[in-house]
Amino acid sequence: MDNLKEKLKVQVIERLNLKDLKPGDIGDDQPLFVEGIGLDSIDALELIVLLQQEYNIKLSNAEDGPRVFHSIRTMADYITANSGAVKVST
Amino acid sequence: MKDYIISTGNISPQHSMDVDAFFNSRNETSNNFFNALEPDYAAFVDSKMIRRMSRIVKMGVAASTTCLRNAGVEIPAAILTATAYGCLEDSATFLRKMIEFDEQMLSPTAFIQSTHNTVGAQIALLLKCHHYNNTIVHRAFSFENALTESRLLLEEGISPVLVGAIDEITYDRHAILSRFGLYKRDSGNIAGEGAAFFLLSKQPGNNYQAVLKAVQSFYKADIVQEDISKFLTTHEMDAELPGLILHSETVYDKTKGKNYRVLKNAFPGIPEFAFKSLCGDFPTSSGFALWFASLLLKEQKAPVWMHGIKFPLKNIFIYQQDGLHHSFYLISSD
Repeated sequence: MDNLKEKLKVQVIERLNLKDLKPGDIGDDQPLFVEGIGLDSIDALELIVLLQQEYNIKLSNAEDGPRVFHSIRTMADYITANSGAVKVST
Repeated sequence: MKDYIISTGNISPQHSMDVDAFFNSRNETSNNFFNALEPDYAAFVDSKMIRRMSRIVKMGVAASTTCLRNAGVEIPAAILTATAYGCLEDSATFLRKMIEFDEQMLSPTAFIQSTHNTVGAQIALLLKCHHYNNTIVHRAFSFENALTESRLLLEEGISPVLVGAIDEITYDRHAILSRFGLYKRDSGNIAGEGAAFFLLSKQPGNNYQAVLKAVQSFYKADIVQEDISKFLTTHEMDAELPGLILHSETVYDKTKGKNYRVLKNAFPGIPEFAFKSLCGDFPTSSGFALWFASLLLKEQKAPVWMHGIKFPLKNIFIYQQDGLHHSFYLISSD
């Protein structure tokens, strides 16, 4: 789980081009949006694509977005819970 | 019709963000492309905003911000951007991802940033400017048409208008166009890029740079002397020749060009300068020429690397040609 969280931090920084941040700067429970790291709606779309491309997980219900992408920990929990269970639709 | 160029901002292969450096040194390239000298963008854009911006967007934002800062204007009444190729880097990124991921799960950022109006939109977003915003895409008439629309807006009382010309060199564009033989170092035809922005007003204000008197475009194989004569007569310049001709003929083979000969016959003995030797060749390079002309008219002196111009300099004629696209500009000191 810790490895997944560290991997997610690296992927989020790379995917969203957060050049000023290092993985150690992002707390596991730090909110990713608005008052936390300051991500916005376009970043949310990028994170959905990240889940699909890197973990083969499709966010089936858009209303789950705020909960799933609240922090690195919630993302890791969602990936762990859904890994291998949900396939990307083609 | 007189419109005042209140201020300018320009990113180009020259030191155009630093007037003293520009007047004292000329940047050269040994390649068949001429990349812009880019500033530290952190001085213009917040780091959170900058992370999604490609080079063309950053150049446009920095040049437009410089232009507005120089004028002391926070929000223009309209924003017009001109580009021939648009945001090529992001377009290529998006298309590559379409292939790589079999048209599935595409990243939204490259798509959003790939549209031609991204630069104008980003400028408006950063300024929180909700006024008129338009992007003109018409190959080598893009900037000329943006200027025409700017002048129409000024006629309607919408002032000041921020208008800019912008295009970028990307690896793909350069490789493809080089295969067509467009860029050859030995013929002096090198690829270029840049972002030139202007704040235009009907009123001179306290410290305007130059006066934009006329812009006219022609879509034809070659210009003839009558085109120049008519243009000068229409704008009451038949009795007075301009003090400098800025033209887009390539550096080394210009004497072979038919259009160049027409130009030389129309303006015998008038000093001339091939402006694409400074900025390279790209369809909206007339933005660089207009910036250069405005600077010379404001400063009333020549760079150390430019010779033969007599001062005071009152009028400059610009001739821009790109394929069948020809444009004339008349710029004046008052």
